[in-house]
Amino acid sequence: MSNQQILAKTALGYNYIKLLSEEGYKLIDLNMIEPFRIEDKMYQPSSLVFERDQRMYAIRSDWTRSLLNYNESYFLDDQMFGYYGPVIRNNRSFYQAGVELYEPDQMSIVRSIKLHLDFVKEQIAAQDKSLRSLVVNNDYLIDLYLKKYNLDEQIRILIYDKNLSGLREELGKEHALCKILSTRASQQFELVQQEFADDQEMQLINHIKKIADQNQIKFMLDLSFRSPQSYYNGLYFQVFLNYDTPLLSGGEYNDSAFGIALNIEDGGLV
Amino acid sequence: MITVALPKGRLLSDFMDYLKKQGLEEYTAGLDEKSRSLYTIVNDVKFIYAKGRDVPIYVENGSADIGIIGLDIITENEFDLLNVSRLPFGECHFSICGLPGVEQFKTIATTFKNIAFQHFKQKRQQVSLIHLNGSVELAPLLGLADGIVDIVETGSTLKANGLIEYEKIMDVHARLIANRQTFYTKEDEVYPFLKEIGVFQ
Repeated sequence: MSNQQILAKTALGYNYIKLLSEEGYKLIDLNMIEPFRIEDKMYQPSSLVFERDQRMYAIRSDWTRSLLNYNESYFLDDQMFGYYGPVIRNNRSFYQAGVELYEPDQMSIVRSIKLHLDFVKEQIAAQDKSLRSLVVNNDYLIDLYLKKYNLDEQIRILIYDKNLSGLREELGKEHALCKILSTRASQQFELVQQEFADDQEMQLINHIKKIADQNQIKFMLDLSFRSPQSYYNGLYFQVFLNYDTPLLSGGEYNDSAFGIALNIEDGGLV
Repeated sequence: MITVALPKGRLLSDFMDYLKKQGLEEYTAGLDEKSRSLYTIVNDVKFIYAKGRDVPIYVENGSADIGIIGLDIITENEFDLLNVSRLPFGECHFSICGLPGVEQFKTIATTFKNIAFQHFKQKRQQVSLIHLNGSVELAPLLGLADGIVDIVETGSTLKANGLIEYEKIMDVHARLIANRQTFYTKEDEVYPFLKEIGVFQ
């Protein structure tokens, strides 16, 4: 990495947490060596774990989990946190930056997404880059479909895999789910909206779509869209520049928390 | 441009036959070229030729956007990708095979240790598994194992070596897989291609 790239990366991290601080986020810095609990391995399979003095420790591999564990142990008063620091995952170290919101209402989530998009727009203003697409899904929408059509849980796996032939075999090609999942992700929103427009979760998705439309970002909803991190269990979204790795990733986890991560390393900003 | 990873060998020729049936001669003409090139570009589609086991690795990492692969490969190992559709070729099956007269299998040789492990675990049958990289039919002939778990297509290799099928474990067919991110970021190219080859109707 060149001097210029290192400086640009550091400046980006600094500008980001400075903005978070100005917007009322509590900045957090934590030791990279954390006490390790066996249940953490389920959520952070790529963590490096070691033993010292008959106690188990892990090197931080994901700020979201670290903050959640920290918050559960120390019952922090604040609800909005910002972080910027290194993590080690699969023997590779890189910097992670992001926010965590605990027990946020829908509008706090919407404001945080907007804040991040505005920050990115400001960063790319002088570059020949544009925010290209925003992809969203919510696991709860699958619950709604399974309930509405009285479907077995195994259908959920076929949806996760986007296994169209499996869904056609199980449900018949005329079934609503087969039609939705065979539709372009950029056109699925209208079909889901027709069925569940009044649902609260669709209202949040509607808010996000509005922000994407206002910023001329291509909006996509796909029931098969999922996070590689298994702890996300509600809304999940990613935002892309003219690049195939996401610049922003975020979503709901642990039933009452919401996080957004800014991909400093290879999201296309530096 | 999108990149499609194709496995060399029988699945590649089956895929070409499939494209011909769809009337997509332009693609098959490109794929048909006999050369040592590792890839071919037809219109806006780059086809790369890879070892079957490597196809899901290229797709999972985004080096390829789409891949054609046997169900056996993505069942044996876990990959984070979209397992989009069954394709109407590449049919075969996994079987437990051995020399005639085996009453109970105690040692099984296989290239697909995870599939074999899952099967015997489900049946609560205790067996030792030996991993081999190929030509597993040799193992019972040499006394290394009393049975094998392997893919059976026509059964001719088994027959030629005096082996018989004892039990069918699972059906295998060709699958179309896709990268979890470029499926969206390259939607305008991926979707028309999948529609063109008949995966999306």
